[in-house]
Amino acid sequence: MPALLIANPRPYAEAVRHLPPLTGDDAELARRIAAAAPDRDDAAEAELCRRFAPRIRFYGLRHLRNEAAAADLVQDVLLMILQKLRAREVREPERLASFILGTCRQVVIDGRRGGLRRERLLETFAADLSPLADDGFEALDAGRLRECLQRLPERERAVLVMTFYDERPAEAVGVELGLSAGNVRVIRHRGIERLRGCMQPAEDAS
Amino acid sequence: MSAASCTAPTPASTLIDYWLGELEGEREAKLEEHLFGCEPCSARLRDLARLGEGIGHALRAGHVPAVLTPAFIRRLQASGMRVREYRLQPGGSVNCTVAPDDDLVIAHLHAPLGSVQRLDLLFDDVTSGTHWRVEDVAFDASTEEVVLLPDVAELRQVTVATQRVQLLAVERTTERVIADYTFNHSRYQT
Repeated sequence: MPALLIANPRPYAEAVRHLPPLTGDDAELARRIAAAAPDRDDAAEAELCRRFAPRIRFYGLRHLRNEAAAADLVQDVLLMILQKLRAREVREPERLASFILGTCRQVVIDGRRGGLRRERLLETFAADLSPLADDGFEALDAGRLRECLQRLPERERAVLVMTFYDERPAEAVGVELGLSAGNVRVIRHRGIERLRGCMQPAEDAS
Repeated sequence: MSAASCTAPTPASTLIDYWLGELEGEREAKLEEHLFGCEPCSARLRDLARLGEGIGHALRAGHVPAVLTPAFIRRLQASGMRVREYRLQPGGSVNCTVAPDDDLVIAHLHAPLGSVQRLDLLFDDVTSGTHWRVEDVAFDASTEEVVLLPDVAELRQVTVATQRVQLLAVERTTERVIADYTFNHSRYQT
């Protein structure tokens, strides 16, 4: 049991979230976590969570289209990955990202969230990972976005609104506008680039 | 792959296609492999998704004036948005307002659009004496109408105003008025 948990009654994630970021690559993190077992390398675990929580969350949002389900996925996958690393069951640390993606896919396919496996994991690792799953998703400057939207050519604004109101693919938007899906994609891309340029004038709009 | 660099950045258009579920099978799987190993690209995906989310929020807050379609308005209503609707025939006028519990206010402008290639809208705010033109709006000619969505947040600040709108069919060297409409707006009164 790491000293941190004995000395500090706060939940694990709360305790480690302020640890400084590490610069090593993903494989190095994986090796550090495995090497520390059965103790915990707090800094390496925190960095792994910091690095992958946003990617897992976006995978969840993309495939589950639900914020709560995506948050559950982040917790489940991080718990599973940490468990595997601590148990030294990740055989190719240099392929950690692929391993995490595979775990995401499996969890989504199996629909295990909320099931027995999750409860068992949460009991085993009483650590509260929620703060680490927070990816710092900063709010946009709503006033600036409003101005930028109003500056767009009308056709681009309509396509962006009809696309992103409920995240519709080009084909569905095209049907509503009497346009081809290809045409909608071109207008959508042009609009997004213009909007990004307006929101972040200094950023390279690559 | 290092967390700090990307040797093959994914184009923004591909990231958007992925986010909207337009990439199929192997292409999607390949991109996901890349995104999980590439912090710069996954951060760019987050930025794009956040922008998309912001557009949705701006619309829900009534901050996005736009020319839309009847089908899209039905989608808004189906998702629970309270939409006040006015319907005008060519040459028509209407007394209009926005109530406190309206999320959005729209006007269905009915017009013969069958042969129209490009459609512009000309606005004339009689009360303030200002004019402006909106060029090349997206429309579905088969519906014989366009839907005007004003900036509702701005509209709530207006006490009384009269605004005329003309639909213009723009051809190669000429343009013609298809229809005009008049809106007599007054602040909502209980």
